[in-house]
Amino acid sequence: MFESFRPNSLKDLLTLIDGRECYKFAGGTDLYIRKRQWQGAERKFDKDVAFIGHLDELRGIERDGYAFHIKACTTQNDVVNSSILPEYIRVPYRLMGNPAIRNTATVGGNIANAAQVADSLPILYATDALLLLKSILGSRIVRIQDFIVGKYRTNLAKNEIIEEVIVPDGNFNGYAYRKIGSRKASILSKLSIFIVYRKENQILEDVRVCIGAVNEIPIRSPEAEKIFLKNHDIEAFLLHLKKMFDAETDKRSTKFYREEVSIRLVRHFLEKILEDGE
Amino acid sequence: MMIEFELNGEKVKIESTLSMRLLDVIRNDFNLTGTKEGCSEGECGACIVFLDDQIVNSCMVPMSNVIGRRIETIEGFSKTERYQIIERAFIEEGAVQCGFCTPGMIMATESILRKGGPITDELIKEGLSGNICRCTGYQTIYNAVQAVLKEVQAHV
Ligand SMILES: Cc1cc2nc3c(=O)[nH]c(=O)nc-3n(C[C@H](O)[C@H](O)[C@H](O)COP(=O)(O)OP(=O)(O)OC[C@H]3O[C@@H](n4cnc5c(N)ncnc54)[C@H](O)[C@@H]3O)c2cc1C
Ligand code: FES
Ligand code: FES
Repeated sequence: MFESFRPNSLKDLLTLIDGRECYKFAGGTDLYIRKRQWQGAERKFDKDVAFIGHLDELRGIERDGYAFHIKACTTQNDVVNSSILPEYIRVPYRLMGNPAIRNTATVGGNIANAAQVADSLPILYATDALLLLKSILGSRIVRIQDFIVGKYRTNLAKNEIIEEVIVPDGNFNGYAYRKIGSRKASILSKLSIFIVYRKENQILEDVRVCIGAVNEIPIRSPEAEKIFLKNHDIEAFLLHLKKMFDAETDKRSTKFYREEVSIRLVRHFLEKILEDGE
Repeated sequence: MMIEFELNGEKVKIESTLSMRLLDVIRNDFNLTGTKEGCSEGECGACIVFLDDQIVNSCMVPMSNVIGRRIETIEGFSKTERYQIIERAFIEEGAVQCGFCTPGMIMATESILRKGGPITDELIKEGLSGNICRCTGYQTIYNAVQAVLKEVQAHV
């Protein structure tokens, strides 16, 4: 048996989960799928459930001088329709799921679920996003790279929730995004490339490159990006990324396909970014 | 526990649980069987309803997220004038074969219209991208939606 709770406020939620391990049920588009039952039957969970999707305190998008702040239970469509967020943040969300799913699926749920194919992770890795985690004891801010530990693994403590995602404003003025394969067709063949950059007076001042869904966690190398900004050597940059691939070897052809396609796409995008305006 | 919300314009109360799916409550407790269960996992759109004017897959919505909110099913929507326009277009274009996907398709069509603004072919495809039809091959459905658009725009 499991119990379900619907706390009236964020504070009540934090008090509840302080002593009790619960699923934090936001949109449920990941949680429900893992809990199939017969029609008409109540969904059975193997842990208690805290419903959080109704908490207004956990919804909304704001901007200050340094960053965009997206509360965890903001839906994907709220992101897509936001007049505050720049296009490079909105586009990956626009290409997720389908219109009805995006009205319920949340930003925090995609991160906390930490699937290998989670489509919000590449943009968040590329922009060095931070997560504001909260428990009854207080708050802490962690980098997304330190939060995601592996496939379906994060270092969220049992008594914590994600309260907010903080995306620093990097003053980027260009981006490229490509998502290959669909959830319906095949999760394994999927990969995504996300790039943001800033180019001023023909000079590339910042570039971030992230490959999603190939490894268990997104691939990004800030060191290689720094070198690339100086020498514009695409092949050397790609060589660096290639060394980071560590997908399972038992699915060789798939692994080969995903790695090859990601490298070609990154090459294509970087060539275009360097060329444009030169 | 007692759960209160608005269903097709009426305040309702029902004994249920927080984790019960909205789909089950609509079909079993309220006997509104126009909303269908296809895949049970958010892929097919047969179970689409409006929640506060936005389409959702009712197979993916727990009653906890329905408390105090407004639900509109195909039965509620079928009382509107716009429904008549959509129904006629679906029939005239041959967009209904077995009919299982039709209530969801109609709700998705309405959600495209409710967005307002100019509607492109791309927006129609995107708007129907969460609805699966195993019979028609979709072309007749797109034609029907185009016909609806023409008629609706002619009225404004
Ligand atoms: C038809 C369909 C298509 C989909 N397509 C895509 C796609 O294209 N790309 C993609 O990446 N995903 C996709 N998904 C997966 C899913 O929609 C997303 O991962 C979504 O963002 C999950 O959000 P949620 O609110 O529904 O999560 P839930 O199911 O409510 O929760 C997921 C997990 O996160 C935890 N959690 C939720 N919120 C918090 C919080 N604030 N703090 C701490 N923990 C929390 C829960 O405990 C749970 O473990 C799809 C799902 C479906 C059903
Ligand atoms: S039954 Fe809900 S989307 Fe298929
Ligand atoms: S008409 Fe049969 S599923 Fe669409």
